Formats: sequence, structure tokens, C-alpha cells
Amino acid sequence: MTAASEALRRVGDVVWEIPASARPDMRVPARIFADEELLEAIRADRSLEQLENVACLPGIVDAALAMPDIHQGYGFPVGGVAATEPPDGVVSPEALVHEISRAVPAGAGKESLELDAAALEDVLRRGPRALVERFGIGTEDDLEHTESSGRLDGADPAAVSDRAHERGHAQLGTVGSGNHFLELQRVDEIFDAGTSAAFGLREGQSTVLIHSGSRGLGHQVCTDYVRRMDGVLARYGISLPDRQLACAPLTSPEGREYLAAMAAAANFAWANRHAMAHAVREAVARVVGRDAANGTRQVYDVAHNVAKLEPHGGRELCVHRKGATRAFPAGSPDIPADFRAVGQPVFIPGSMGTASYVLAGEPGAMERSFGTTCHGAGRRMSRTGARRRIGGAELRRELETAGIVVRCPSNKGLAEEAPFAYKDVERVVDVVARAGLGRRVARLRPLGVVKG
Amino acid sequence: MPHRFVDHTGEVELHVEAASEEAVFAETLAAFAELVGRGGDGEHGRRTIELASPDRPTLLVDWVNELVYLAEVDGFLPGRVDELTLQGNRLRAVVGGRVGAAPANLVKAATYSGLELERREDGWHARLVLDV
Repeated sequence: MTAASEALRRVGDVVWEIPASARPDMRVPARIFADEELLEAIRADRSLEQLENVACLPGIVDAALAMPDIHQGYGFPVGGVAATEPPDGVVSPEALVHEISRAVPAGAGKESLELDAAALEDVLRRGPRALVERFGIGTEDDLEHTESSGRLDGADPAAVSDRAHERGHAQLGTVGSGNHFLELQRVDEIFDAGTSAAFGLREGQSTVLIHSGSRGLGHQVCTDYVRRMDGVLARYGISLPDRQLACAPLTSPEGREYLAAMAAAANFAWANRHAMAHAVREAVARVVGRDAANGTRQVYDVAHNVAKLEPHGGRELCVHRKGATRAFPAGSPDIPADFRAVGQPVFIPGSMGTASYVLAGEPGAMERSFGTTCHGAGRRMSRTGARRRIGGAELRRELETAGIVVRCPSNKGLAEEAPFAYKDVERVVDVVARAGLGRRVARLRPLGVVKG
Repeated sequence: MPHRFVDHTGEVELHVEAASEEAVFAETLAAFAELVGRGGDGEHGRRTIELASPDRPTLLVDWVNELVYLAEVDGFLPGRVDELTLQGNRLRAVVGGRVGAAPANLVKAATYSGLELERREDGWHARLVLDV
């Protein structure tokens, strides 16, 4: 633990703060949403040091924020939020578009949709709309129920390297590895009947939750721009405590080009999940019938690794969400019309052995976290630690004994995602509710999980 | 142990100890191969890799990112270093491996976070965090 972390103090029921004065290079405080037990887990790794590093970014406003599922990442902690203000505020590629999630009330994610160069460019520019119009994949209703309608303005395929194009062209419609998954679930409990009705959720209903992102394309965009910005830090007089936080002013050529590339990668990520959701519908049609497939609709698709320009408190800010989910409340013009009275849906995957939550954004999120809440339970144990504790075959048997079907090609990969490697999702959700960032709408229990 | 994976909550942290810088690069490839698998019954293949970077630690990151690219796009899973030369901040290597087999696990990128490549009393040491 750093000396700065020892300056941590409680400033609210579930809010903790490391003052900006704790380190000479911190420009703003580091603020953490957690209860005592979660805080103990958070203090066990380098999360807080990484959050302090984020507080050093040029142009950061208010505070570097940590959601209760925060854990050590690289550069940004996972579960970190930072808002920077143009023109001198920076954008850091490290907070890019790797993973995002959606829920579809119901075998997808294995076979890719291989795109030619023109189709890939169209996807990068227009996201899932290109799939609807070119190939008849998905529906207009899916697009309406996707954050930003699945298309960030300013996307420029030319800002995406040839190497990123190569990595992406055969990956559309695939779930990927690591903690990405496709999970069949049952709505186990409704907490907010009005909001769940607005989301189209009812007790006993089957749902599918997809967690995936921009695959190799997005990683390559991040790699390319971190390397490029690392080379121009001196030009902009930027000194950083961690090279992986490489950044450039939002208004600089590097910053503008990165935003154009990131928007293209975000559009690709939305299209990727859109294609998988379509495959879910086709699977429902094969197994249950076409009528059931036609009644299978998307609740929402929302990012949790992206930087977006948004108005907050009368200023336009670049909100970096690294493992953190946008959670706009009722009344926001940026959410679908049929959710505007209740707030934006947010999905909080727990683990494949516990439960996931559907939340709705609350006004407190706009006041306290730039319209953001957590993105999952958050890891508390390393992958190697999880593998030391259980083998993949044993975990597979345990899950299947509990009635959860597992389709995962790698026992090693399965063991790394063991439920005990994650924080208690009930506790994480309790903190975001107490902090006023989101409210419980429904709980989803896993029936089966597919991993890449 | 020439390489070991150290606990990291979110990703994989690799530590390498070797007698020379060239050996650090070779051992990093061995660690990468351990993560992604050696391609089982894929066909034998060789790839020549040439890289130029601003400094040696960045060259190590670029080395792994090149292996990531070859594994993902070319289906080439490296198994051994046949030749490896470092000159200034340039690398030239010939790598043997297998082509056409799916990786057992994906490495998505090498990062600069906590990056170290330095000479110590008992040899060379590297630390690298890999996004998995």
C-alpha cells in the first residue's frame, strides 16, 4: 500500500477519499464507493495506487472515481472513472473499448461473420446499423435499445490501423476469451415491478446476457495509440506515473485521431454483440420455434470500457469509463424513449455460479459519478490464485451439480473464472444502491454459460 | 526459474530472469507459448520478425505484441527462437512454431504498466503485464 493510500478517509456512508494533497502529482482526490468489507479487498492489491495515478491525469475534474467492483488492472484500475475537460484535458487510450454487455430476453458466439473490407469499413462507421441494412442481421428495435444507437459520431476507419483491421475482419459475432461469456439465465426476483415491466422483464422469464467487446480490433487500436501517445508526452509537457496511462490533449491531432479510432472500435463492439444477439434469436428459432424467436427482444446494450464526450454540470467532459457502466437516470434524453420514465438499464454480471443484476440509473449517478455505476462483481483473486484453488474439471462438475450447464473449451480458462475469484455481487450492488448510483430492478440466476 | 507468473488480480504479470537481454526475449517467447499453447498437431512453420522501437523495454513490449498479432491473424503459435539478434533498439528473430491450430488461450496485448527490463547483479530481469 502506498503512503497516499494510508491517507484514505471516510467521507460518507459508502464513500471514501484519498485527498489530492496525499501525493504531489495528484491533481484531484481519489474517491471510492465501497463498504468496509469491499474496501478490505480493494486494499489487497494495487487498485488504489492505480486510482491515484489516474488522479494525476492533466485536465481531470472533480475526482478520480472507483466503483465498488474496482480491482487492479494496467494503467487505469478496472472499475475506474475519470472525466477530463477540453481543450487541455487528455484522453487516454488505456480506457478504451474492450468489453461491453447486453441482455436479450430469450449457440451463439462461436462462428464469426467474416467481413470484406467494404463491409468492415461500414461497420466501423455505422456500427450495427450496417449489419441490419447490408445483411438483415438484427432489427431496428435492437438499434433503438443500444447505447448511442450503436454508433458513435466521428468514427473514422482510416484512423484504425491495417493491423487492427486484420485482427477484426474475421471476429465479428464472436465472444472472445478471458472473462467474456454468453449466459442463459432465469429472472429469479423482481425488486421494482414498474421498472422491470418497462424493461420487459418478468419473474421466471429466460434471458441471455452477452459480455463481449471489440475483440482484437479494439485491443490493437489501444496498443497503437498508447504507443503513439507514449512518444509525444514530452511534446505536450505531460509527465505520468505509469506509461500505460499515455495520453494526449483532447484537441491535439493525436487526441482527435484516437477519438475517431476509438469511436470506430466502439461501433465494431456494438456490431459484434448485435451479431451474437441475432445468433441467439436464430438458436431460439431452431430450438423453440420461430414465434418464440420473434418475441425475443433486446433489453439494452451498454458499454463499460469507453471514453465519451458528455455534458455534465454545464461543461462538456470526456468521461473515461474503464470497467464502469453508464447509468443515466429517468428523464435523460440519451436513453430510449420507453425507458425515459424509469432510467437506463444497467447489467451487473456476478459470476457464473452466483447471480447477475439488472439495475436502473439513478439521479445520484449524475450528481456523484458522471452518470456511472459499476460493471460487475469485480475480481478479488488472481487467475493463478483461482487455478491453485480449483481445477477446471472439478469446477465444471460443481457447477453442473448446481444445475448450471458449462460450455467452455478450456479447463484452465474455466478455473480462472471460478465464482470465488470474484467479489460478492450482492454487496457490490448494495453499495451502488446506498450511494444512489443505481437501483435494483431484477436478479438473474445462471442456467448455462458459454465461454470462448 | 527463468520465467514465472506473479499474482495479478486482473491480468497476467510475467517475471523473467536470464543471463542476457537476448535470453530475456527468448524466455518471454517461451512464457507466451506456455500461455497460448504450442499448437498441438498444427503444421510446422517459421516466421522472421523484424522490429524497431524507441528503447529496449518498448522493444520487449513490441516483441510480445508481434507474437499476439501472428497468433491471432496468421494462426502461428510460436514454440522456439531459432535466431535472435538485438542491435541498438532493433530486433531480428527467426521463430519456429506451429501454424493452423487454435490457441489454447488468447493473450490480447502486452502493456507498459510496471514494465521493467534491466541488468541486475545476477543477470537480466524483465517484468511485463499481459492483458488476457
